[in-house]
Parts: sequence; structure tokens; C-alpha cells
Amino acid sequence: MTMTVQSDYSEKRPPLLRILQAFVDIRELMLIVLIAAIIIVMSNLNPYFFSFSNFRAVAVGMAPTAIIVIGMAILLASGGFDLSVGSVMALSSTVVAMLLLTGMPIPLAVILGLILGGVVGVVNGVLVTGLGINPLIATLGTMSIARGIALVLTEGFSVSSLPVSFAWIGKADIGGFPVIVLLTILLVIAFDLAVRHTRFFRQVYFIGANEKAAMLSGIHVTRVRIILYALTGVLAALAGVLLASRLMSGTPTAGNGIELQVLAAAVIGGASLRGGEGTILGAFLGVVFVALINNTMTMQAVSIYWQMIVIGGVLVSAVALDMLIRSKRG
Amino acid sequence: MNATSIRDGEAAPPLIQLDAVAKSFGSNLVLDGVDFELRPGEVHALCGENGAGKSTCLDLLYGLHQPSDGKILCNGKEQRIENPSHAQSLGISCVFQELSLAGALSVAENIYAGRAPARMGVVDWPELRRRAEALLAEFGLEIDVSMPVDSLPISSRQIVEIAKALSLNSRVLLLDEPTSALAPDEVDALFDVLRGLTRKGIGIVYVSHHMAEIFRISDRVTVLRDGRHISTLPATQTSQEQVVAEMIGGAHPGDVSGSRTVNGDKVVAVTGLSHPGEFEDISFSINAGEIVGMAGLMGARRSEIVRSIVGLVQGATGNVELHDQPVKFTSIRQAMRAGIGFVPEERKTEGLFLEQSLSDNLIAASLAEHTSMGLMRNGSIRAASRAAIDAFSVKASGLAEEVGALSGGNQQKIMLAKWLKRVPDLLIVEEPTKGVDVGAKFQIHTELQRRAAEGMAILVVSSDFPELVSLCSRILVVHEGRLMGDIPAEQASESVLLQMAAGTTLRSAASATPDSGATL
Repeated sequence: MTMTVQSDYSEKRPPLLRILQAFVDIRELMLIVLIAAIIIVMSNLNPYFFSFSNFRAVAVGMAPTAIIVIGMAILLASGGFDLSVGSVMALSSTVVAMLLLTGMPIPLAVILGLILGGVVGVVNGVLVTGLGINPLIATLGTMSIARGIALVLTEGFSVSSLPVSFAWIGKADIGGFPVIVLLTILLVIAFDLAVRHTRFFRQVYFIGANEKAAMLSGIHVTRVRIILYALTGVLAALAGVLLASRLMSGTPTAGNGIELQVLAAAVIGGASLRGGEGTILGAFLGVVFVALINNTMTMQAVSIYWQMIVIGGVLVSAVALDMLIRSKRG
Repeated sequence: MNATSIRDGEAAPPLIQLDAVAKSFGSNLVLDGVDFELRPGEVHALCGENGAGKSTCLDLLYGLHQPSDGKILCNGKEQRIENPSHAQSLGISCVFQELSLAGALSVAENIYAGRAPARMGVVDWPELRRRAEALLAEFGLEIDVSMPVDSLPISSRQIVEIAKALSLNSRVLLLDEPTSALAPDEVDALFDVLRGLTRKGIGIVYVSHHMAEIFRISDRVTVLRDGRHISTLPATQTSQEQVVAEMIGGAHPGDVSGSRTVNGDKVVAVTGLSHPGEFEDISFSINAGEIVGMAGLMGARRSEIVRSIVGLVQGATGNVELHDQPVKFTSIRQAMRAGIGFVPEERKTEGLFLEQSLSDNLIAASLAEHTSMGLMRNGSIRAASRAAIDAFSVKASGLAEEVGALSGGNQQKIMLAKWLKRVPDLLIVEEPTKGVDVGAKFQIHTELQRRAAEGMAILVVSSDFPELVSLCSRILVVHEGRLMGDIPAEQASESVLLQMAAGTTLRSAASATPDSGATL
């Protein structure tokens, strides 16, 4: 620490390095350029790539991930972490489906599903803050429990024959744009602005940067943390409801492994497990980037197994580049 | 000062009061029936050695802990202070010794952490900047408040921290060593601000080790020792000597002065050590049995210099000879094997394993010595730990006690003992007594001198100039990466060192020695 005492903001650097640094500092910028690059290259490689139907499919496919990444990015910025999102997604999708089968009105069933996600989130928050369990362990536990409940309730089968009108949420279009995609974009914009400009969400960065200091500054660390876990739970449940509506069935195995995709996308988008950094826009662009890479490889008929290798490589490279620049800056 | 406001204050109830407060952590009684009161408009200094209970008093007043016995009164009414945000709502704010800033966020946001001016929950950024700038202007600090805190030098960060407490417009301000990183003119500015606050009737609890500062700013002085209240007197009716005497009780350590005549073999010789952008042309040598000081101000690059020698910082050019053999270390392991010990400045982040036991910490740098056939030998670890504890009279409940639970002075002793245990030929110590009480300081100095007398070469990097003058036989003064002088202790005084370290007297002070740079 003593070595970085001198202020270095005024230090002269070669312009090339400065540009590179600004590029990496503003992760959103880098991702936008990379996304543009993929689109340009792929448009020339594959005539089917640059089409409304392809983009539409990609957008609909990534919507659940994009919704969950909002919560995950905020949690990561606060120094938290949630592995249970995929299971919560499955649990809410099956519970909402089962409630609908009992004849419950759609809005009520959906709201109950979202509340259920919030409850799991509160449990996560209490385990982490009240009992002081490491978030990795706490949410690993609830991940298993939530998935288990979904499987027990359904005995492992999907819940289908849902009322036709339920499909509206997941399948309807407004002016050719899927509702599910519009909703996702709306949420991303709303939360990105909220995290940048509202007093409540600004507290997140203090907690993530230095929890003790945040507490000493009079911030209700425990309360904020629990709210953030609850928010993540609600968003995961929303993703589950949208998925159930799109597939017209509640699936207890839905969202299996999505927590790691979400985490990877958030980190590619500039979040860090150390906490204190990252934006919603960055995390969202991370999701878009990963989705486009997958889409590209699918279109070029690259095996799904290879896709895993590539995404892993991208994740590690993103973090490695970040570390490299940080250490250069000293 | 403030004589009138004290008299006014006597009529009103104290802003805050500890009434026979006791606090224990487990079986460890840290406060035992302490009475303390803060009147409107006064600066009340709280003095005591580390572990005397000053910090615990602040913690209780700021709601970090609740008293085990006795009560806290706010404006004459009994009050349970639940947590820091509750304390803030009661009009109490606190500046802690450890900075509580979020480095990546802007200065302005840090000052108003979680309390930024907002309309319907949306932060009003221009207003936030205006308020932050106005607060910092009181300290004469003109910086771009939208800059991240990380980019500021330490002293400015401490001012930001203080501004953060002031932004709450509290009636009670608790200050824990607020000047530890400040330059003299910054201290003056702080004191002006504090005096302005007391005129408005705000009460200030001032915790510090700097006796001179305490007597400059305080109206009353309370001394604690071993968790007990010893005395509360108006500053005009006591003296620095009396306060120190009360702090340490019967024991009188006095001034340390060991043998200054040294004629051992040359242990280390550094010639022309340079690191572009950091430091340039550093040359000095240290003989066996010699304690050499390295003085400098913030930004002098002392840390970078010694860390280049021990292989923690790479990229320096020049020669380092150990026992007349040229060496170039690329890791601290190599330096250790060659017989160098390095005690870093930050005991919490660089020096200790806070959650580990005392004995684990002591042997961390000499694991091999206590291992046979891959297994740790507990008997030898215990014996070695006891020896170290005795040599330094460390106060601890046992060898298994977590180091994090010890007082700062005892932690510092453990850190030093860990390296002394290896019996290095050259020991480099950064800030050996930073934030350490008078008694522990004396013991640390005595032990360093004993080791030097046994033939160890010791380099002490310190910002505590009186310490260097009394402890060392020679003092190297560094200013912005350049060696300004290498002066014998007899010719050094605090003011000479300060002038040289500030770079104000280049050659006049250095001319005390024939050739400033390369000696020996």
C-alpha cells in the first residue's frame, strides 16, 4: 500500500497505453466494439446471421440470463454472490405453473411466483449477513434446496397444459418486437440508471469496496445486503416465469447451470468478485457478447462442446487483461 | 482557549457522558468503571497507552459496542447507542484512525457516503459536488472532488475522512489520531476548523499520541490506564510530563540511549542504487552493530528504496553488496536466505496473520527451523515462542491467542520478534513503533539496541524523527528519492532532519558531513 501513496493521476503515459487503458477502464466501450466486430465479421461470413429473425432468436434466448445478470451484477458490486439463481428460476416456473393449473388468475400466480423468489433471496441474505455464512456456501445450499423443492413438487416432470392466455407474456410481440425482449431492455435501462444515480444503490459500491467502512459511515449494511439478495431472487423468479410462459410449461430442470453463465457474463462485463465495481450496462453487454459468440459458433456449425471451451477462454482472458492493466498501473 | 465556552457549558448538561462504564470482551475486562463527560464547546483529549481503553470508549460512543455495565447519557438522558447510524442520528460522528473510504468512488461521494443529497432517491450530483467542495475549502484543500479517492495522497485522504465526519453537522465529534498523516500546515488548518466548531458549541473528543498537539488544542485532558479512569484536568492545570507519567503509571522508561560507538565489519554497502521515476543514486553502508536511521517525509520513496534492496521491488539499478559480495535479489526468499530480515510498515496488511495464533505468527518466517521430516515440531515452536514473548514482555493470554486480539504495541512486538528470531545479519525495519504506546516503544528500542550490540546491522526507516535521533548512530535523510545527507546522530536534531527531509536546506545541513551521498 505504501507504494501507491503518491498520487498518480497526473502521471504522463504514452498515448497508446492511455487509449488502451481508457478502453479497458470503460469496459462497456470495449464490449460494444467487440460486439460490433462480431456482427461485421459474421455478416460477411454467413448471410443468415444479419437478419431480424436471427437477432430476434438470440434476444429471446438470452432474455432470462440478461434479467438475472442485473441482480448478479448488483450483488457482485456489493461484494455478494448468488449461486441459487438457476434453481430459483426453476422453482418459480414450476410453482407458477402449478398454481395456474389450480385455476388461479394469471397475475396473482405470477406475483406469488415473484414473491417466492424474493423469499429465497431473503433467506440467502439472512444466511449471509445474519449468520455470516460465506455467500458461496450459503447460496450453494439454497441452490440445492430450491432445485430439490422444484423436483419434489413435480416429481421431476414438467408441468404443462397451462392456460393459453399465459403464453402472452412469453410469446407476444409489440410492433414485431417480443414483449420478453422489450421487458428485458426496459429493466436493464431502469436498473442501470438506478445504480448510477439513486442513493440506495450508490450504497452498494461502498459496501462492496469496504464493508466495515460502510458500516462506520452509518450505512445499514445488513439491510442493504438482504434487499439485494431479495432483488436478485425476484429477478431470477421473473426469468423463470417468462421461461415458463415461453415454453408453456413449468420445468423443474430449467436454468440448470445458468448461474455460471450469468457470473461469467457479469465478470466479462466488468464486475469483480472483490466487489465495489461493475455496472448493469456492462454486465448486460457481457450477456450479449457471450450470446453472440454462441450464436456465431452455432451458425458456423461448431460443436456445442467447443462453445464451452471458447466461453471459458473468453472469461479468463477478460479477467487476465484486467489484471494485467491493473498491475501495469501499479 | 475557549475559557468562556467552558463556563457556558457547565450550565448545560454534558453532550455525552460515560457513567461508570465497564466493557468486557469474554473474560477480558477492557474498561472498568470509566467516567467521562464532554461539554458543549470543549475539546476533551483522551490519553492513554495502547490498550488503555481509549478506542473502546470511542467504540461505545459510536455504537460499535454496548457497555457491559454502567450507562451512556446523551444530553443528560440515558441512551443506548445501537449502531453507527444510530449514533449519527443522535448527532455523533467519528473519524477513525483506519481510513474508511471507498477508493474507487469519488471524493464527493465518499464525503457523503450513503447520504448524498437526493431528490426522490435520485442523487443530485451538482449539489453533491458543491457541498463537498465547500467542506474541503475549509481545510484549504482545492481538489477535483469528482476524482476517485485512490488518486489522492494519504494526507488528503485523511482530510476527506475528516470532512466526511463534519458533513454530518454533528454536535459531538470523535477524533481518533486525526493528524497521523497530516503535514504541519494541514494540522494547523484542522485545528482552525476544530476551533470554529467549538465556538458553535460542538464538543470534540480528541484521541492522540501527540502530546504537543493535545496541549495545543484541548481544554481538558482525561487519562486512562488499563481500562481505568486516572484523572481529568483542565489542560492548563496539567503538563505533558504529568500526563505521560499518569499514562504509564509507576514505570519511567526515560530516554533510550545505547552505545553509539560502532566498529564492526561492513555488512551492507549500497552504491548508486537508482530506479527511474522512483529514486536516484542512493549510496550508503551499514556496519555490524550499527543502527542506521532513514528519515523522510511522505513521498520520499524510503519504502521503495529498502524494498528494492530486499527484492520486493524489481527494476532498480546499482550495486548492493552484502559482506562484500555483490547481490541482487529477485525475491524476499533470496534476501532472507542471504541473511536479511525485513519488517514491513503495515502490520495488519503486510506483517501479521491476524486470525492466526501468536506462536504461528512468530514462526511464520522460520518454518524450516521448526520442521523435521516434513512435520512441525510443536515443542520447539512453543519454546521459541516463549523466548520471544519473554524478550519483549508481550502481554497475551497465551501462545494460542489470536494476534488480531492483541493491542497494537504487542502486535508490533510479535512482528519484530518473528524476524529477530531468524537472527539476520541485516535487519530492515519500517516504522518500528508506529501507533505504539510509550512502554512498548521503549521495549522495542531496547531490544533493537541489544541486538545491535550483539552485532546485528539494523536499518530503521521511520517518520518519527525524535525516535531516529535517540535510537540511531547515523541518519540517512531522503527527499523525493534522493539522499540529502548521511549525518551522525550527534549532529542530528528533529528540526535539522525535518528541514533536510523537506528539501529546504540542501547543502547547508548536509555540509555537516564532508560528502553527503557516498560515505564509507
